[in-house]
Amino acid sequence: MSADKTISRGTKWQRIDPALAWETWSASAEEPWDSSRVALVLRRAGFGGPRKQIDASLNLAPEELVSRLLLPTNSNIYQEFEDESQTLSKSILASGSMPKLVAWWLHRMLKSPTPLVEKITLFWHGHFATGADKVQDVELMWLQNQTLRNHALGHFRDMVQSISKDPAMLIYLDSASNRKAHPNENYARELMELFCLGEGNYTEKDVQELARCFTGWEIRRKQFRFNSYQHDPDRKTILGNTDIETGEQAIDHIVTQDSMPRFIVKKLFHFFVCDEPEPDNDFLQPLVDEFVSSNHSVKHVIMRILTSRLFLSGWCIGKKVRSPLELAMELLHSMEATTNLEQLGERLRMLGQGLFFPPNVKGWEGGRAWINSSTLIGRANLIYDMARNENTKFGASSLPQWCERNNLRTPASLVDYLGATLFGQPLDELQRSQILSKVNSDSYSWHRVLEIVGTIPALHLS
Amino acid sequence: MSERRGFLKFSGAVSGLSIGGGFPGPWMRSVAAKVLTGKSTDRKILVVIQLSGGNDGLNTIIPHRDEDYRKARPKLAIPTSDVIPLNESLGAHPALRPLDRLWDAQRFTIIQGVGYEKPNRSHFESMDIWHTCSSNRNRSRAGWLGRMFAESHGSSGADAPGIHLGSEPLPLALVEKSVPVPSIGSIDQFRWKSVRSASRGLMAPGSQSKEEPRDKASPAPEDLLGFVSSSTQAAIDASERIESALGQNHPDFPFPDTPLGQKLRAVARLILAGLQTSVYYVTLDGFDTHANQLTVHAGLLRQWSEALSAFHEAIIQGGQSDRVLALTFSEFGRRVAENASQGTDHGAAAPVYLSGPNFPKLLSGEAPNLTNLDDGDIRYCVDFRSVYRTLMEEWFGVASGGIIQGDFPKLALFS
Repeated sequence: MSADKTISRGTKWQRIDPALAWETWSASAEEPWDSSRVALVLRRAGFGGPRKQIDASLNLAPEELVSRLLLPTNSNIYQEFEDESQTLSKSILASGSMPKLVAWWLHRMLKSPTPLVEKITLFWHGHFATGADKVQDVELMWLQNQTLRNHALGHFRDMVQSISKDPAMLIYLDSASNRKAHPNENYARELMELFCLGEGNYTEKDVQELARCFTGWEIRRKQFRFNSYQHDPDRKTILGNTDIETGEQAIDHIVTQDSMPRFIVKKLFHFFVCDEPEPDNDFLQPLVDEFVSSNHSVKHVIMRILTSRLFLSGWCIGKKVRSPLELAMELLHSMEATTNLEQLGERLRMLGQGLFFPPNVKGWEGGRAWINSSTLIGRANLIYDMARNENTKFGASSLPQWCERNNLRTPASLVDYLGATLFGQPLDELQRSQILSKVNSDSYSWHRVLEIVGTIPALHLS
Repeated sequence: MSERRGFLKFSGAVSGLSIGGGFPGPWMRSVAAKVLTGKSTDRKILVVIQLSGGNDGLNTIIPHRDEDYRKARPKLAIPTSDVIPLNESLGAHPALRPLDRLWDAQRFTIIQGVGYEKPNRSHFESMDIWHTCSSNRNRSRAGWLGRMFAESHGSSGADAPGIHLGSEPLPLALVEKSVPVPSIGSIDQFRWKSVRSASRGLMAPGSQSKEEPRDKASPAPEDLLGFVSSSTQAAIDASERIESALGQNHPDFPFPDTPLGQKLRAVARLILAGLQTSVYYVTLDGFDTHANQLTVHAGLLRQWSEALSAFHEAIIQGGQSDRVLALTFSEFGRRVAENASQGTDHGAAAPVYLSGPNFPKLLSGEAPNLTNLDDGDIRYCVDFRSVYRTLMEEWFGVASGGIIQGDFPKLALFS
């Protein structure tokens, strides 16, 4: 089969040469660096942005734009934000309120100068899913969130070593009560099945042996503690290695398995590029090679993905279902808006994406699983309520004032604005006229326009 | 205990005709279509209750006199004095007391030792196997009930063939690309705030009307946009139907104020309001009892038994008891030996529970044999696909051959 030389939205992945897909994209006459590509980067590498930010970003090269979403360009602004966030977190920990902690993270997603860090932290939260309903401790959930953020872009091994000693994780998967007489297999199983290798890449015997490695890993005064009396010191055989004794050695051995990079890279691919289709191993091999040669650096893989030809060709546009959080955040970002974030956190939970409350240890399934009758109604109702909520401010003002300031003087101009910032595929003439036909052009309200946009199927795709 | 009262008039007749085949010929399909789209009075209903996380079958239906049971469970064994006796050797967990009335009325049956060959001890894999009937990792993403809908329902304008009540993602068992199944978090929130007509006609592209021809080809249902569009249409239809059904007829019965209680209350309301839906699906999560199992497990079993008992009570009161059957299952049982955290790890075979219509026997299958274990777990003696096949053919009267591949004999549950 001959591979296609160019990549367009409709090209089947089977016809795309993997080497070509993952080489660096560069602008050309056919594929200019335009606002649709910038908007795509802002959505996938963050939580979207208003037209101003899209326009301003056109002056940056793609890799520069991605870097800026990752690393602060202005250290003063960054420090100011971090100081504010730290102060806020202290008062929240003192309050012991889970809804406030959720709001704290949503605030970071809304205001952080480095939104890609928050996005990838969200990825790891779904990957190393830990539920506050079982942990029952706001401080430990916050601590885990810090751990995930600190290692978010680093080397995968360091992340796994840290999360394996994370108090919230130890509580969530019963590691904290794992003793040598009768090992508890919960963490050992999920470490291989869900965190590192994928189902089918280990045996039941490996699970039992690995559980022995983690015996004696406990929590004391909210901190990790190794209890040698409860640890099984004998040799274990894990994945063919007969020379393993400690949990740390076991982790180091697990992350060097061939199945690990394939497993993690595939998940990153789906998170950043598309929910469907499911490509084969060959297609992702260049990313796997990048991951391996960089000593499993997450940052290397993400940079490679977000600056690749496959990504910036626009092939991936409309190939991801927005999560509830992405839907709300991208709408807010697009209109420079803020709202009551505690309420929003609660609504997101009802729509299936409660931060700190993943559905189970496998995290959020994503893709089509976000969409069903209830969530579609719930999403439309969320936009309806957010638009009308008195706590929702658009650029610190009301919706009509914001529209006026942005030179949006007719319903059509607001629809076009949202089409350019929020919609994956630009709205076509038919959709546009259908929306506008629902708005009474004589006595329209801006809220009504938003409300109708909230019912369009295409809004749920990014 | 072998008499059974008159029931299954319709499905009994059909299963007689489908003997030996199970092949989905066109004739069978039309009969099946009639079953699933017939009048609400003669149509059978299945309510699936999924106990997520792996329910400890050994501490649900308990071999309390077995020495090996006590040895394997020094901290977790339920003493003989506490169990509800079922026969000379088995007893039920005391938290199942609310099911007494169902047992006494012969409206409950327990199939012991249900599982499958080469048990998978991953929650997600094992659940997928139960949902799709396939252990093959490259299995299709369609569930056994979804495929049953596709084969028998078609796309007629009646109510959705299945409804999932819950806020978790749609269970794979109900998934089939051509038949969208609504998932309803709660009936009260299942209403569009924006004027519903706002979303009418906004299905484009993909389901736009014929009067508005488009240059671009419509996306296929497997396309994401096509999927979102058809799901939106299904949401509009279902919310309209439920609103109008509940508006006319509003029977309501007391239910426990628990998550499962409230879900089953909603199911009962929809059934008694005359919705034309054949399958309802609910889940109760939390059965992954790796630690401190005793209280957690007792609480979950109590939640299940109280909700199930209230549900059947409502259905009986509503005069629908002979057409509503509840199936309760879990993705696996738990390891026979307890762990150090006063919990149990993932195991294999466990009982499946059916309730609602009359059943001649309380117990079938084989009691757990603790001297012949499979890597520490109970061996299966009944494949779960035999349970499904029996339900499809005997309860719904639809052929199962297109849905269940392989030789899984039907069970004598009903006669």
